[in-house]
Amino acid sequence: MKSLSGLLTDYPALPGTFDELIGTDGAPRPEFAECLAMLGALSPDEFARAQSLAELALLNQGVTFSVYKDSRGTEKIFPFCLVPRMVSARDWDHVQRGLEQRITALNLFLDDVYGDQRLFAETKVPRDLVLGAQGYLPKLRHIRPAGGVRVVIAGIDLIRDPDGVYRVLEDNLRTPSGVSYVVENRVLSKRIFPRIFDAANVQRVDSYPTKLAETLSSVAPDGIVDPNIVVLTPGQFNSAYFEHTFLARNMGVDLVQGGDLFVDDDKVFLKTTRGPRRIHVIYRRIDDAFLDPEHFRPDSMLGVPGLMRAWRAGNVTLVNAPGNGVADDKAVYPFVPDMIRFYLGEEPILEQVPTYVCLRDNERDYVLDHLDELVVKAVDEAGGYGMLMGPQASRAEIAEFRARIIENPRRYIAQPRVELSTCPTWIPDKRQVAPRRVDLRPYILTSREGPWVLPGGLSRVALVEGSYVVNSSQGGGSKDTWVQGNGGRP
Amino acid sequence: MTQRPRNSTNFHLRAQRHGPAGLISRVADCCMWFGRYLERAESIARQLQATSSLALDAELPPTRCWHPLVVVAGEEAHFKERFGEAFGDGERVQHFLVWDDRCWVSLFRTVAAARENARSIREVLSGDVWETVNELYVWMQNEGPEGGPAVYRARRDDFYRRVRQMTQLALGLMRSTMLHDTALDFIWLGVMLERTNQTARLLDVHHHAFGGEVGAGATEVHDATAPGALNHQVVETAVWVSLLRACSGFEPFVKSFAGRVTPAAVAHFLVTDARFPRSVTYSLHAAYERFSYLRPPSDGDLPGGESLAMLARLDKWIANLPPSLPDLHAILTQIVDETARIGETIGRELLGYEPTPSVASSPEG
Repeated sequence: MKSLSGLLTDYPALPGTFDELIGTDGAPRPEFAECLAMLGALSPDEFARAQSLAELALLNQGVTFSVYKDSRGTEKIFPFCLVPRMVSARDWDHVQRGLEQRITALNLFLDDVYGDQRLFAETKVPRDLVLGAQGYLPKLRHIRPAGGVRVVIAGIDLIRDPDGVYRVLEDNLRTPSGVSYVVENRVLSKRIFPRIFDAANVQRVDSYPTKLAETLSSVAPDGIVDPNIVVLTPGQFNSAYFEHTFLARNMGVDLVQGGDLFVDDDKVFLKTTRGPRRIHVIYRRIDDAFLDPEHFRPDSMLGVPGLMRAWRAGNVTLVNAPGNGVADDKAVYPFVPDMIRFYLGEEPILEQVPTYVCLRDNERDYVLDHLDELVVKAVDEAGGYGMLMGPQASRAEIAEFRARIIENPRRYIAQPRVELSTCPTWIPDKRQVAPRRVDLRPYILTSREGPWVLPGGLSRVALVEGSYVVNSSQGGGSKDTWVQGNGGRP
Repeated sequence: MTQRPRNSTNFHLRAQRHGPAGLISRVADCCMWFGRYLERAESIARQLQATSSLALDAELPPTRCWHPLVVVAGEEAHFKERFGEAFGDGERVQHFLVWDDRCWVSLFRTVAAARENARSIREVLSGDVWETVNELYVWMQNEGPEGGPAVYRARRDDFYRRVRQMTQLALGLMRSTMLHDTALDFIWLGVMLERTNQTARLLDVHHHAFGGEVGAGATEVHDATAPGALNHQVVETAVWVSLLRACSGFEPFVKSFAGRVTPAAVAHFLVTDARFPRSVTYSLHAAYERFSYLRPPSDGDLPGGESLAMLARLDKWIANLPPSLPDLHAILTQIVDETARIGETIGRELLGYEPTPSVASSPEG
């Protein structure tokens, strides 16, 4: 057993919590021992210098997100911690297979729920609860989307419990964001810690944009060989604008806004200085409700009138398909294992978090009696909003959620608070490394040929001591995720 | 007009490489404005730097140094409204033209606008270009000891120099790190239209303040607004040298005129010398040429015909100006107005602007 020196000396591991890098004996996990020894040899001064170098690089490169409440449209960097989160090859193999299985089942579920709805006829999955999801769009029933794949791009949030078991926390099947930080964080890791990185034998993530371009090409409408692809953004005031430009730049496709597109004869065209150009695949980063003012919100300034007609006619592929919200609704989530069993005839590879559906009387009663122990989530909110952290909440907050749940039970689910795993994290104020809770969002691309999982992902970290909320809007930061390669290198 | 900076073989090569794709109108608009703001930022910084140096010499009343800058910026009325007749207060004028949020063309606003346009065409620019522009913007906001405001307070010349270097770097990086395609053509079109405009305005204002009738070859001072004439030869030379410096044109000028600085020679040089990249002739011709790449005269079906015709007409008109430049003010006014009209027409024909009937009608040049 190696003892640690320097940066990782006296690492104050949290009892009852799994740590990603350090074992219960206080020594580095053996699969990461070599590069952790190198990392641990750095002095706090050296690390602080490296850290500020990384932050300056992010600021100068404009790797930022917009802060909405600020009137001057201030942009901030997404706080980045240079201590990586590492995943062993063996763990990753398990995660990857589980994600492929899950995303395959979710795609089949969406085809079914917008098709014959066999799931309800042949299993006990409650029809009313599923079809009551806000993201279910009954008008789209019996439309087969151009390209044939509904969830082309997915981000599935995983957490690790105190036993180190990976569990799916939630699915993001509409417009998951964050992948640009995965690639940019990696650039910084390699630039700042080349030797440590080299020692860790890490799988590459910079192939993502190429893979994404191939995937988008593959889901073009039938018969289109060399499709014109665009990324559709709400514009530069959107918090994820950096990512939209990142994706367009790295795929070499146009980044467009709603006003740049128009629909004629159920086909989509781009307005250019040389006249209209036909568009076949749109990776849209705007919500369903804003896609097409003719079809959804008439007041939408972001969308393209007639876009849904073109989609319905099979002349354009929308990525992801409209209507996917029914599959990542938090009240539908408890039934994903049933979907895997029903559509694939397999047992789920990845665990979930036990979930109480407030629409069901007995489960709601339990939730209302145990609000101070549970995490309550609104089924249609994201970003850490609309959430009650029972164990940390005040009496007033609990009373408020009790009233909300009683008024609209379909809108809420509850889960026991999982002791999220921790990862050593640089704490600038204390100039030391301390455990902070993390999650992991891997990205899965599904082409006509099937799913592909990016070996890596966005590790988000709750920078505030004691916090369980990793969202960037709530004081979260990010880490590079180092997935170790299979076998040694020559 | 004698010299063309680019030969026709080159043109055909480019036409092939362009392909039929075209650029999103909104993106083209941002490209053009990015070019304009970048060029404007460099120009403002250059003018401020040259004038700071000029004002250090004792002979000239400060008002004569600083007032023209506010006029060139088109902010005379606004400045007067807020600060009265404080045109001689160099610090105030500089602060106004560098930092003032309400000054339409302040350096900070210009850099912020260049950066904002760059950000909306982030996928078009190379990483190097973007980082340079973004770094300049971040630096100008950085309140730390090495940030823009601190350098401005402590080392004024360094401050202007840094702004100029960063904008020049961005302009150069566009040539060396970006595809030479439609997007870059729109950026250069913006640069060249802005440069035409800046040089013409700068010369016009100086000519008005210090000049006199250039055509008559006189060195006498003819300025109705100024109390007391400036007839000291040395001072006058200094003023015109400063103007040349404000256009980065001093060295090219003395090479051409063997050091004899006269108002007529300076005007002639800044308007007609096709070898000097900031002359009106060069800039406007370059703008015309860029536009011909975007919208070749042979492609009659493509939008942009009216803009092309206007650019061709103005280019020819400038090339055929009589060498003595009679009534310089009228000539420069015509150039400034006509480039504005061309900008509007390009906007209407290619960039999706709403038509503006009142200014769209083009008088014969």
